[in-house]
Amino acid sequence: MKPPSFRYSSPATVPDAVALLVEHAEEDARVLAGGQSLVPLMNFRLAHPGFLVDLRRVPGLDSIRMDGDVLVLGAMVRQSAAERSAEVRVAAPLLAEALGHVAHPPIRNSGTVVGSIAHADPAAELPTVALAMDAEMTAVGPQGERRIPAAEFFQGPFTTALASDEILTEVRLPPFAGGHAFVEFARTHGNFAVVGVAALVAVTDGRVTRAAIAASGVGPTPVRMTAAEEALGGAVPDSAAIGAAVDAGTAGLQPAGDLQGSAATRIDIARAVLRDAIERAAERAQDRR
Amino acid sequence: MTAVERPAAPPVRTHKADRRWVGKSIRKVEDPKFLRGRGGYIADLVRPGMLHAAVLRSPMPHARIVSIDTGAAEAAPGVHLVVTGARAAELTGPLPDFGPDPTKHTWRCLAAEKVRYVGEGVAVVVADNRYLAEDALELIDVEYEALPPVTDPEAALQPGAAMVHEALGSNLAYARQFDFGDVERDFAEADVVVRDRLRWHRSGGQPLETVGAIADFDPATERLTVHTNSLSFTSYMFMAAGALGVPMNKLDVHQVPAGGSFGSKLFVTKPFVIAGMCSRLLGRPVVYLEDRVDNISNCDHHGSDRVYDVELAVMRDGTMRSITIDTVDDYGAYIQFGVGHHGNALAQVTGPYTINSVRYRVRAALTNKNQQGAYRGFGSEVNNWMLEQMVDKAARELGMDPVEIRRRNFIPPASFPYFIPSGNVYDSGNYAAVLDKTLELADYDHWRAEQARAREEGRYIGIGVISAQERSVFSATEFWFWFDEPNAPVTSSPESVTLGVDATGTITATLYSCAFWGNSPETMVAQLVAEEFDVDPHSVSIIYHGTAGGLPATGPGGSRTTVMLAGAVEGASAKIKAKARKAAAHLLEVDPDDLEWTEGGFQVRGVPGQRKGLDEIAAMLHMFKHSFPEEVESGLEESKVFDHPYTTMPSADRSDLGVFYPFMGNACHVPVVEVDIETGRVSFLAYAAVHDCGTLVNPRSLAGHILGGTTQGIGTALYEEFVYDEEGQLITSSFLDYTIPTAAEMPEMTIGHIETPSPYTPHGIKGGGEGGRMMAPAAINAAVNDALAPLGVRVTELPMTPDRLRAAIRAAGQVSSAAR
Amino acid sequence: MTDLHPISLTVNGREYTLAVEPRRLLVDVLRDDLGLTGTHIGCEHGVCGTCTVLLDGASIRSCITLAVQADGAEIRTVEGLADGAVLHPLQEEFWNKQGLQCGYCTPGMLLRACELLEQTPDPTAEQVREGIASNLCRCTGYAYIVEAVLAAAPRMRERTPAQTPTETTGAQA
Ligand SMILES: Cc1cc2nc3c(=O)[nH]c(=O)nc-3n(C[C@H](O)[C@H](O)[C@H](O)COP(=O)(O)OP(=O)(O)OC[C@H]3O[C@@H](n4cnc5c(N)ncnc54)[C@H](O)[C@@H]3O)c2cc1C
Ligand code: FES
Ligand code: FES
Repeated sequence: MKPPSFRYSSPATVPDAVALLVEHAEEDARVLAGGQSLVPLMNFRLAHPGFLVDLRRVPGLDSIRMDGDVLVLGAMVRQSAAERSAEVRVAAPLLAEALGHVAHPPIRNSGTVVGSIAHADPAAELPTVALAMDAEMTAVGPQGERRIPAAEFFQGPFTTALASDEILTEVRLPPFAGGHAFVEFARTHGNFAVVGVAALVAVTDGRVTRAAIAASGVGPTPVRMTAAEEALGGAVPDSAAIGAAVDAGTAGLQPAGDLQGSAATRIDIARAVLRDAIERAAERAQDRR
Repeated sequence: MTAVERPAAPPVRTHKADRRWVGKSIRKVEDPKFLRGRGGYIADLVRPGMLHAAVLRSPMPHARIVSIDTGAAEAAPGVHLVVTGARAAELTGPLPDFGPDPTKHTWRCLAAEKVRYVGEGVAVVVADNRYLAEDALELIDVEYEALPPVTDPEAALQPGAAMVHEALGSNLAYARQFDFGDVERDFAEADVVVRDRLRWHRSGGQPLETVGAIADFDPATERLTVHTNSLSFTSYMFMAAGALGVPMNKLDVHQVPAGGSFGSKLFVTKPFVIAGMCSRLLGRPVVYLEDRVDNISNCDHHGSDRVYDVELAVMRDGTMRSITIDTVDDYGAYIQFGVGHHGNALAQVTGPYTINSVRYRVRAALTNKNQQGAYRGFGSEVNNWMLEQMVDKAARELGMDPVEIRRRNFIPPASFPYFIPSGNVYDSGNYAAVLDKTLELADYDHWRAEQARAREEGRYIGIGVISAQERSVFSATEFWFWFDEPNAPVTSSPESVTLGVDATGTITATLYSCAFWGNSPETMVAQLVAEEFDVDPHSVSIIYHGTAGGLPATGPGGSRTTVMLAGAVEGASAKIKAKARKAAAHLLEVDPDDLEWTEGGFQVRGVPGQRKGLDEIAAMLHMFKHSFPEEVESGLEESKVFDHPYTTMPSADRSDLGVFYPFMGNACHVPVVEVDIETGRVSFLAYAAVHDCGTLVNPRSLAGHILGGTTQGIGTALYEEFVYDEEGQLITSSFLDYTIPTAAEMPEMTIGHIETPSPYTPHGIKGGGEGGRMMAPAAINAAVNDALAPLGVRVTELPMTPDRLRAAIRAAGQVSSAAR
Repeated sequence: MTDLHPISLTVNGREYTLAVEPRRLLVDVLRDDLGLTGTHIGCEHGVCGTCTVLLDGASIRSCITLAVQADGAEIRTVEGLADGAVLHPLQEEFWNKQGLQCGYCTPGMLLRACELLEQTPDPTAEQVREGIASNLCRCTGYAYIVEAVLAAAPRMRERTPAQTPTETTGAQA
């Protein structure tokens, strides 16, 4: 299991990197971030990029910063760096919690937050978080820079709105004043989740004022559970209201069955995970006030 | 029961009570090199200039190979050789196969005319390095003509099923029914017949190191030197030589330590033959190291894959009278070890219980899956699970306590040696003592109370209690008695050790097979030698002999290593001591009979001052031969070839299979689990296990094997399965899909030991390397069933994945609830 | 042949400059080019952890890391743990507690445990269990590995910098 041959460059600027992607488009040029998804795929010879553009030497891409109240993570911020970052814990505790579920520390030491979003594995945690948080992805291509909202970004399994000559330079996470929870069900510790739920719940005077919920493992992309969010809106987050939100959120889901679970089992698990996530987020929302 | 005339048992031994080294948990002598990353595994022996092989694998479960175009691959950079399966079939003979009629299901290192499972090799490329070899694999063009895949073992036996091997005329590789005792009568007299259908899916050893071989053919001498992490490298050498067409005296196989085996590296002839074939063609050393996908899809370690229909005849008081077992075993496309896996089951078919009679029907089905090999337990773990499932079901139907029904049926300590209906003997045991100790360690009553409390809160806690057997030291009759007219006599599966005391008095032990795989043959031998000669075990040097010029040996398997090595060490030590005694007597000018062995030397009985240490004796024998009478030879080195110590032949009609697995351990496992009925997740609250493997040589190392085996058993029970879908695709071909438990899934385990010595082995040792995995699947299944009993759910299929558990719970009417 | 890329690596305190094909995996460069065969290969897809090494002090999977990605890094492998004849406390405790059977996972486990104890010098058993869950062991059932790491923790806390082999301080800091 060795990767196929390719050519390689580690440019010093984003424009240079974009230029390389354009120049080697015919060879299926690809961006290399941590390599924790791409290199295994190449080892299996499931991916044959002819050219890799490694972002590791572009200065500044490993920065974690605040742009006003928006948390901005550069393309080369390793998952473990984000996990340890005090800024992330304060500005996006949902992300911090989810990171603890992404693979294992040795993989998080290499893998990047943005790389996981770009990879768009339907079972992955971080795309789900991005969707729940209404994140924006900054893409730079030959035509310049654009921002892509998470709701438009994930288009299918391993398929995103990013063009093949574009680079994601950062992910932008707006604030959410309320409680958060990332809950997942995985077969073993560190394994990809069968189902994962990212929940944000704001509570004022005992009632839910805003909820943002997304789930992995129940569709070809992370799914925003708007029906559950609506069911919670204005409600006292007690078990009846949460139960109703779970019913609403999982009604009509049609996950594909696979090795990890039939469609029916995935829905069973999604119900339990969704309930736990909403409960915990609501509890934390109460605590926050 | 009709009285069977039985050959005499070996003499009963008395074991010395004051042991100095046997029984001590010393640090293992093997470990320092591994701790420093200097293990010397097969991949570590690769040197610059060696060529690397990679194998093209079939993506088709069942297809005729219409054509293979290797032109582009041959022209690719760095490529030295491409060999297709058809060409390999001209260059090599079939791989060794102990099944019936091997010519009707010919097994080769690469598929020749058709492929029979996903992952079967169709061609091999040899190149300067593995990267280039894999590049070339992508350039090989194979045209297949798809054939209908056969994936279900029972459907495979239906008329009209597509045939995996046309020459066989069906997919039934073996079928036989044995009756041991009067089954009809016992069933007629029974109060209740408990029936069930059970399904055990295939999982495998999955050692972290794959299989590899480095073959170096020297065209000048026509000698083939092979290094490989095969464990039984001595005993299969003649078969590999046959497959390669190399004269046996031109083949030298060398041991290397294996990074885990668990049965998966017993023979492993494919990499050996592929590397050997390529090296012979090229006249250069060729390395073939499987990668993980090679290993998962084309290895020798897919384990048992059985469907059972079982009936257990019981009396109302819980006494078990008889059992009929009807099993179909999915052997995959080939059949390497015959149905020896069922010999393993028959060795302990009635468990620790006094069951009168047994009917055992086995059918071996061939399907489009990787062939079965060996996995820790070798089929006896499946029998344990089946039997304990039935005992629990009987307890439920009779309204009995699971502990009580077991106690009632235990073979009492006074009845040993005890012959079970199949003819095998249990040498010794104390099953109630093991059970009692386990219940105590498990804090059983506390957990029963917890369980009651949890049920009131709507939580599902379950406690499993199983008591089962752990056979050790197989005799090759278990591969042999299947045939009325076996085509060769039966081997005694010997093991050999040479002990040498050099001129300075330090001791070297030479082993001839039994390569290291994570068991501790070196530590065992060092402790046994230390016990014999009163030396520090860490001062004993251990080396492995290659096959050329080696003594007879068999290798590990069936938990035989320690007992067999102990026999060989004992024999060689006795010879050394006999010679040393004579020499000391001569030097001290006393009668040899007046000497006694004490503290590392011979001393005149009762006269501590008058003695010769082993070092002094050895120095004299090595260097000063003229100080001794004419007949004394220089040196102090002796060997012992130790044959299987207790085998008896089966009866001609096979109504009695004779003694073939005589040293019988026993264990009790009590896991406490909680089942989350919403998600089907099983988690452990506690886990206690007590094993009785006779006298322990290194208790901590045995406990380590119990822990490791139990972890694999947890995998078998909850996580691990080689899944082939209905189209015959293997959908668990990597570690991403084949789920191996991590440290986080492990229960906090409490391990205990009982030591009931064997009357027939040195020190009373029994084998114990496989025990954990022989118990855990049964125990965890029992615990899950106990947890789900209030829902009326009983799980009869392993592994108990969340999907399977949820399906069972849904079927029982438990729809998932959102609100708490 | 594809173009070669110059890289420099500091491995166990020793500097190497090499020219590698970009596709070469770090584990292969360590094993084949530098002869450091203590880093093992188990799966080559990132799951098992047998190939774990420390890169600038952080554990990584060398089987899914390209050597070019490690250019300029300090790498520590199992060969850099012992100080000559003196075993590292973790090695010593793995031996004492029988934290290994076949030894194949051991180098990776040792390095992962090293990182764990540097980040969490006084861990609970639970933290160790979770921490080493990144690395598979097929032999031991993990229990004695957990015991070994717990036993090594106080010994590592007590180690003064002077006792640390100077060659390896870089990766250890
Ligand atoms: C054993 C194992 C277990 C894992 N378990 C999990 C898990 O439980 N949950 C989980 O979410 N992930 C898991 N992962 C994946 C891991 O999180 C990866 O690190 C992550 O998905 C990809 O990040 P990366 O930086 O390594 O990206 P890379 O592998 O470098 O790239 C991945 C893909 O994204 C593209 N890409 C990366 N960065 C950019 C960019 N800035 N612009 C444009 N395209 C880009 C690449 O071209 C490539 O196609 C696991 C990985 C392994 C090996
Ligand atoms: S070999 Fe690198 S993780 Fe398995
Ligand atoms: S000791 Fe063998 S894999 Fe861990």
